[in-house]
Amino acid sequence: MTEEVISNGLTQNSSGGSNPTPMKKKRNLPGNPDPEAEVIALSPKTLMATNRFLCEICGKGFQRDQNLQLHRRGHNLPWKLKQRTSKEVRKRVYVCPEKTCVHNHPSRALGDLTGIKKHFCRKHGEKKWKCEKCSKRYAVQSDWKAHSKTCGTREYKCDCGTIFSRRDSFITHRAFCDALAEETARVKAASNINNAAAGNINYHFMGAPVGSSMAQHFSSIFKPTISANDDSGDPMRRLSLWMGQGSQGHDLISNNLPEIHQIGPVSSSAIYGDPLVSSSNPPPSNYPSNWDFGNKLSSNNVEEITSTTHPLTNVKDVGNQVLSVPSLFSTQHYSHQTPSSNMSATALLQKAAEMGATTTDPSFLGSFGLKNINNQIQDGNKYCGLYGANSIASGLGSDVESSVHDLSALNQFQMYPSKRRHIQNEDGTGGGQTRDFLGVGIQSICHPSSINGWI
Amino acid sequence: MGSGHQGFLRDCARAISEKDSSKIHHLLWMLNELASPYGDCDQKLAFYFLQALFCKATESGQRCYKTLTSVAEKSHSFDSARKLILKFQEVSPWTTFGHVASNGAILEALEGESKLHIIDISNTLCTQWPTLLEALATRNDETPHLKLTVVVTASLVRSVMTEISQRMEKFARLMGVPFEFRVISGLNHLGELTKEGLGVQEDEAIAVNCIGALRRVEVEQRATVIQMFQSLHPRVVTVVEEEGDFSSSRNDFVKCFEECLRFCTLYFEMLEESFVPTSNERLMLERECSRSIVRVLACEDDIGGGDCERRERGSQWSERLKEAFTPFGFSEDVVDDVKALLKRYRAGWSLVLAQGDNSGIYLAWKEEPVVWASAWKP
Repeated sequence: MTEEVISNGLTQNSSGGSNPTPMKKKRNLPGNPDPEAEVIALSPKTLMATNRFLCEICGKGFQRDQNLQLHRRGHNLPWKLKQRTSKEVRKRVYVCPEKTCVHNHPSRALGDLTGIKKHFCRKHGEKKWKCEKCSKRYAVQSDWKAHSKTCGTREYKCDCGTIFSRRDSFITHRAFCDALAEETARVKAASNINNAAAGNINYHFMGAPVGSSMAQHFSSIFKPTISANDDSGDPMRRLSLWMGQGSQGHDLISNNLPEIHQIGPVSSSAIYGDPLVSSSNPPPSNYPSNWDFGNKLSSNNVEEITSTTHPLTNVKDVGNQVLSVPSLFSTQHYSHQTPSSNMSATALLQKAAEMGATTTDPSFLGSFGLKNINNQIQDGNKYCGLYGANSIASGLGSDVESSVHDLSALNQFQMYPSKRRHIQNEDGTGGGQTRDFLGVGIQSICHPSSINGWI
Repeated sequence: MGSGHQGFLRDCARAISEKDSSKIHHLLWMLNELASPYGDCDQKLAFYFLQALFCKATESGQRCYKTLTSVAEKSHSFDSARKLILKFQEVSPWTTFGHVASNGAILEALEGESKLHIIDISNTLCTQWPTLLEALATRNDETPHLKLTVVVTASLVRSVMTEISQRMEKFARLMGVPFEFRVISGLNHLGELTKEGLGVQEDEAIAVNCIGALRRVEVEQRATVIQMFQSLHPRVVTVVEEEGDFSSSRNDFVKCFEECLRFCTLYFEMLEESFVPTSNERLMLERECSRSIVRVLACEDDIGGGDCERRERGSQWSERLKEAFTPFGFSEDVVDDVKALLKRYRAGWSLVLAQGDNSGIYLAWKEEPVVWASAWKP
């Protein structure tokens, strides 16, 4: 498979090896060119020149090859000069002229001339265009335009229900929000329970599809809600992508969108209250109720939170709990991260940004700590209830299972982190949406019904 | 400024300084009639300054200060502190200005380092750090390891640091930033800090972040504290202070009083315009300010406790800091970030660059500089 051959150092150790299933042929991701392609290195001057494509008949210059071809037709060439030469059949890829750049090397060349131009401009060019509202600077005018359209229109919604128009205050709030504290408590509670090998209990927690837990987790990290301008035409599609399912996802989502709007008041007075508790109907719990969140924690041993009835009851609360359960998986994932493991929340968050632009890009799922998913499936540990036949999720289990195998196929693809400051989508797509990892428009609170399905 | 109440206040201060008993009594009585902590700005200022004047006249400042502090502590909790500070940050850039500037300087100074150690000497309840953590998580391919050592001086803050540390650790995990957190409290004097005490390792890139902390150091000890910073060999030192001078005039009661009145008038007016009229948070902040007023005007300097409150202006701090450091200018990007921050608040706020020999940037409220932020390097 060509993909394997050209995957670079960053993901090499994660490709192939632990993955027993056959890989599907996928479209190459930006910066992983077809090894058969012709590598073209243009100088900065040539790259930035606006009229690279010259007509051999009259010498007129054009910005794009398509324009040139259109022009050439006008010369009424009598024979096959009109046709593409065989040279055209060979795909071209371009390297960045900036020596210190990752894309300077042929193995990381970009396949699109416009793409490499934009990349060069964005990363190595002068940022002449500045947003009035937030002072953010851009080197590419189209990026600036795209940003200006959405700047200030986004809203950020915390799990607790509060909405923010400012990202920085959202981030700060999130760090102190009780919803964060509870999520991790539930994760810990779940992990402790699972460790105690209480088989039935697994399903209550793990029935949520992997996708939704990923989605939820990212929604709990700084994604904006769909803004009024967001032409999300496909919030469904995006969410189902996150959930790794097909139509199943749609049904679940549509069942739940109405619920979202009922979750949590917007007023700040509710911020620190616990909206989850106020609207839940705690069913009887099987779990020990002696958990004392405050006391058990110390700055050295945050890992040791034990279970409590409080978060557990919320888990069972259809309307609101989903806010926390899914993060169970991902937070669990993080708590096992070592500093050297670079497919951590950082990379995950960055992938989330790309989600916004490339809604059908399945690579996102692949990047999501897939190693762990694989390991867990293979280890047959607590998570296997999620993928196995005994998942209570209505039909989700099998869907997830198959999609997980698909995900494993994607594991090797190169992911590009999008940086917050010098943020650009290196393959030239996506415009302003990938400026930061808030690019995902979906508020994936839309999975309460998934819990409905298995409770 | 310059209303009837303020005239009485000044007259009273003068009377106290001249020890004119009957005049003092008369003015205190007048002020008492006019003042109210629930009225308009003038009435509030009259109330709180009356309190300080009364304490000064009766030499009961220390007792009053202790009482006020203990009352505040009783009604204080993690929830109330969090709510207060976050609300304040939402409606006013008074504190976020310094956070954004400092984080910008820190990120730039420590760019490329893999082991960061930030020594946070402040009472901001770590509200500065989530955005920094997020930036560390998203900026580079390699997320560095961050160690955060918070040095707390205010008793009110000390009590909530356990909860704060939990939140910070969880949040760092959420961000995927390898993180270590430590709190140091109970110091009598910042000068007591040492490299070993702070857990500074040789392979760490150090940043000292000092927000509103230098003013709490006794005036005579400030040079020592700055030398202590120097001994940590930091890559960058960020200092943020409120722009007022209660220090050079500390032996001149009337002059100090005038300056205190000027500064607090700005502060109260800013609070009034930033919060809704019924805001409980604003009331809390006003009370907090009133404790500072009593402390500065009616207490002897050496009562200890790490809460001196004698502010100095940016130019004065610069003089001190230049003894050990050189200015580390804020880059254009950071300045832009700060400007963008100010745009997100109500009108009235602006950024002013320091002029001439001075360094740093000022947050201005209606053209008056109110907060000074600066960065320094060895």
